[in-house]
Amino acid sequence: MITVSDLSSQYIEKSKRHILLIVLISILTLLFAVYSMGTGSSSNLGFWSTLRIILGLEEGSNVQNAIIWKLRFPRILMAIVGGTALATAGALMQGALGNPLVSPLTLGVASGAALGAALAIVLGWAFIDNSDLTIVLNAFLFSLLVVFIIIQLGNRRSISPESYILVGIAITFISGAVVSTLQYFATDAQLSALAHWSFGSLSRPKIENAVFISFILVILLPVSLIWSWDLNALSMGGDEFAISTGVDPVRIRKNILILSALMTSVVIAFTGLIGFVGLAAPHMSRIFVGNDFRKLIPCSAVLGSFLMLFADTLGRTLFAPVVIPVGIMLSVIGGPFFMYLLLKKSGGKY
Amino acid sequence: MTELLSVKDLSFNWGENEVLKGINFTIQPREIVAILGVNGAGKSTLIKCINRIIKMDSGSVKVFSNDLQSFNLIGLSKLMSYVPQSVRSSFGIDVFDVVLLGRRPHITWRVSTRDRNIVSETIRFLSLEEFAFRRFDQLSGGERQRVIIAKAVAQDANLILMDEPTSDLDLKNQIGTMKSIKQIISQSQDKAALIAIHDINIAAKFADRILLLHEGKIVSNGTPSGVLTPENIATVFGVTSQIIPSKGDKPMRILIEDELQEENE
Repeated sequence: MITVSDLSSQYIEKSKRHILLIVLISILTLLFAVYSMGTGSSSNLGFWSTLRIILGLEEGSNVQNAIIWKLRFPRILMAIVGGTALATAGALMQGALGNPLVSPLTLGVASGAALGAALAIVLGWAFIDNSDLTIVLNAFLFSLLVVFIIIQLGNRRSISPESYILVGIAITFISGAVVSTLQYFATDAQLSALAHWSFGSLSRPKIENAVFISFILVILLPVSLIWSWDLNALSMGGDEFAISTGVDPVRIRKNILILSALMTSVVIAFTGLIGFVGLAAPHMSRIFVGNDFRKLIPCSAVLGSFLMLFADTLGRTLFAPVVIPVGIMLSVIGGPFFMYLLLKKSGGKY
Repeated sequence: MTELLSVKDLSFNWGENEVLKGINFTIQPREIVAILGVNGAGKSTLIKCINRIIKMDSGSVKVFSNDLQSFNLIGLSKLMSYVPQSVRSSFGIDVFDVVLLGRRPHITWRVSTRDRNIVSETIRFLSLEEFAFRRFDQLSGGERQRVIIAKAVAQDANLILMDEPTSDLDLKNQIGTMKSIKQIISQSQDKAALIAIHDINIAAKFADRILLLHEGKIVSNGTPSGVLTPENIATVFGVTSQIIPSKGDKPMRILIEDELQEENE
């Protein structure tokens, strides 16, 4: 017979297991980051010498120092914070809209960024003219424009979860049409730049960018955790269920969507279109720790950073010195693995 | 003792369509009140107005003499819990976690030992132990309904609002679930239940009072034997019936005979 204390202790055991898993994935990510620091196409910089240079046991040459601190470190940091942000945004959006098909690309934020980037690349239209940052800033500001549209939508009392998704799809179509038109008139060089942007890559990383995203995350991640219980109620049974549990679904949904759109736009502006991690990491996390957002948000965050780092490291070492963009690697490796997990775990339904 | 719930002149329209027209009734602590009526009579709408899921057009609802509008949602959810007709989820959530959501109004972040024990006890009380760590979306319709009832019970609210709570349950579980609800209400000092229900025999057996809802108005309000007369049943449901009065332990029973043949009368 199952007693009350059996149930209680089973719940505690389960929670402990989940927390342990999250800690393990974090450690794995850190270890992999160290490994990744020591791996690359440079022939005079092996894993162990990299480690010795990082730990200060060996004086690196100027070239070695530059490779480690100016190329690899920012790139790895960017992979970690980018993966964290996109995966968390995906988990938040799936919960807030009660829809497992949603990813950070669904709301149109990424399409807005793509439009901004295309305008900068092809027409040279930019809010701020700074040769280095033109594309990034334009992508960022156009994605903020979409965030603004989402805020306006959220102010309508009658907005349903489906309306958000449909508006996102409409934005995607509109900016897709404009981007295609721009491509039609673009020169070959511009086309190549545009294609490169849309792959989603972590090349030419800048430490300032990664630090900027980290800073945003330090603020936004704890805020999203505060709404965990609201998300639990909302993702469980929709609006009526949420209200009867003391949650205002319209307000929470609006707040969560603004938060996740912001997280997405700060990353996408720098990296280009990386979509898959925001869909897959939350679902994999759900398989690992269930749907309690108090655990699902941290798990998605660490798993997202691991996936992104893993895919990027593979992308820059597999066919070195040729680098495969991280967006492509994620989809190629992550896709089949994701399908395998889903089919194995739940007999199809998720 | 103060009334637990008092509803005055409550009206609600869907566009042009008047669904509820000046509803008046009260509920005392320790009462189980059943709402009976045909499909579309406004039973669910009435429950949702009381729970503020939808906004009534006019009238007032008071809980322990306080106006419904004076509560924030968290405060309201400590006073009322709600069992909707059906709940679907797109995500795989453990039954324990679903019932734990009943504690949401009481929890800020951490799940306390008390919360955990209440959830475990509720799961035991409604005989859901064997499902406790199975996924909600993989249960049958009836099992899901019982889990949602458990969530409402764990919420420990004063008024349990239920919309067809037994519609998906088999006969044994219909009786078992209603018995559990009755036990919760009768053992407390300050709890009551308002239940929209289709099965008039279940209502007759378990309700202390019955509200008969017809065309947006309450046409009869009283004890089961007072409300469930062949005349009332004919007016509201359009069927002829025979009443077997309660005898000793046996509840009154209503035998439905046929559709009302208007031409012949």
